[in-house]
Amino acid sequence: MTREEILGGLEKAVVSGNKALAVKDANSALHAGIKALDAIDHGLIKGMTIVGDKYATHEIFLPQVLLAADAMYGALDVLLPHLPVESAKKRIGVTIGVIEGDVHDIGKNLVKTMLTAGGFSVTDLGRDVPIDNFIQKTKEKDASVVAMSTLMTPTMDGMKQVIDGLVESGLRMKVKTIIGGAPCSQEFAEDIGSDFFGMNAQEAVEKLKGAF
Amino acid sequence: MVKAMNHLERCMASITDQPVDHLTAYPIACGVNRRLLSTPTTYAEWASDPKKFAAGFVAGQKYFDYDWTFGLMDLSVCAHDLGAKVRMDEQNTPFVTDPVIKTPEDYEKLVVPDVTKGRCGVIVEGTRLFVEQLKNTIVCAGFLEGPLLVLTQSAGAEKVFMDMYNNRSAVHKALETITELDAEMVKGFATTGCAGLAWDYLWGSYSCLGDKEYDEFEGQQKYAGRLNKMTADNGMAFCIHNCADLPHLDTQIKGMKPVIYSMAYYALIPGSPSPKEVIGKGYCDGTLVGGNIDPQQFVRASVEKIQKTTMNLLQEVKTALCAKGLHSRYVVASGCEVPPALITKLENIKEVVDTTKKYGQVECG
Repeated sequence: MTREEILGGLEKAVVSGNKALAVKDANSALHAGIKALDAIDHGLIKGMTIVGDKYATHEIFLPQVLLAADAMYGALDVLLPHLPVESAKKRIGVTIGVIEGDVHDIGKNLVKTMLTAGGFSVTDLGRDVPIDNFIQKTKEKDASVVAMSTLMTPTMDGMKQVIDGLVESGLRMKVKTIIGGAPCSQEFAEDIGSDFFGMNAQEAVEKLKGAF
Repeated sequence: MVKAMNHLERCMASITDQPVDHLTAYPIACGVNRRLLSTPTTYAEWASDPKKFAAGFVAGQKYFDYDWTFGLMDLSVCAHDLGAKVRMDEQNTPFVTDPVIKTPEDYEKLVVPDVTKGRCGVIVEGTRLFVEQLKNTIVCAGFLEGPLLVLTQSAGAEKVFMDMYNNRSAVHKALETITELDAEMVKGFATTGCAGLAWDYLWGSYSCLGDKEYDEFEGQQKYAGRLNKMTADNGMAFCIHNCADLPHLDTQIKGMKPVIYSMAYYALIPGSPSPKEVIGKGYCDGTLVGGNIDPQQFVRASVEKIQKTTMNLLQEVKTALCAKGLHSRYVVASGCEVPPALITKLENIKEVVDTTKKYGQVECG
């Protein structure tokens, strides 16, 4: 297969949400001597961008996006170990998680997927994440962004606690913060001192790309 | 001018779109009502004890004087009884921490629990108790999670959505079992004397599912269709609550024809239907629609601000109702539950009701 065919295959595998095919094509790319970074940028990310655009215009819906993300992550597992250290370092680090006391993570996962597709290096802290974990992992990973999500009102104040924790630990000036989730708003973001509020995954990526 | 009405007269007139003294109001105050009980009550206690659950609604109605109520506890009730692990904090809404469905095989292992026990039993009994005390004052409805919501609570939404394609038949098998569970719950609610039953069909949202998926995995006859009919056949008004953004209004209002439809409006989300659009596009022609005070305003707004918000909503709604030749088919509500947090301002809930009483007269020129 030609380089174009392999990269096109990766793109199609993501768009169709076919994980097995995405993994196979990722291996084919490496065997054909295609750089991992090229396979990611010109195959996976291209495919995920198409998926994101189709989701935004309601041509496809959440199940298809989740399947596409699953396919992308499957291929990334193959490709990322082959990324040169310098290339990996260039990616902007993001720690992302759902605030302690909340387990609704579908929105967070969507943002994680679109950030990954947008070229960020995302560390997923999961859901019901204790405040201190956000701080510790951000420090440990030397991340430049802290992204927080919650769908529940009682846990919203946890976002402020994370931002306060970043201030206390001396990290606040080094990172941008972004919050999201149904009860959040721009006004709330400003209230708690967050740099950004993302209404949806696309907006979150746009705002963070704009910030860097 | 319409003469002063009591709550029941006003509600019944609104359902049938007759002139009212003022529009009805129901900020969806449920868990927050526990704060009005004379004995300090945690959320965990309120969601586990029928007497405390009922006492909350009774206290809430007395304090806020709303026209309607529905007995929302939280969204994990049925999943809890199906075997999911639920964390019940002191002051936070209970939520599933460990799903019961983890493998494709687990979908087929679900068994309908005895709904007279567990938290299903608590919510039915609690509903019975508050209905007994409030039914002569306001219109009371039970509240029940629809099949797809119960399944996503039992397995995790992400897993279910992917398995709609990866393990389709297993998902349907689980939905069939859950529909049986919901059917048992309908029979239980029918014994409580509640006037209506509100179904939470929140996955009918274009942010999540398209028409095809929603119809296949909830809307179709053997799931929602059967339960909606069963609700009416058991003497309860069939109602829907859907606080998701971009709701499937054509399917859920024009197709399912509920008596009452509770929905939310997300001003920042393109395509989210405003109250004016909902009324203008005919969704209130046969259904009483409730919305759309932003629930966050109950936490963060001043009394003055929420009064202004309510007045603006009333103005928008009254203008749209008149333009459509309607009299009263809109409830001033909160779309989603009023945040049950300790920081929610009770005075803001009361202000929405009071402002509706004061400025909710519909007088078309």
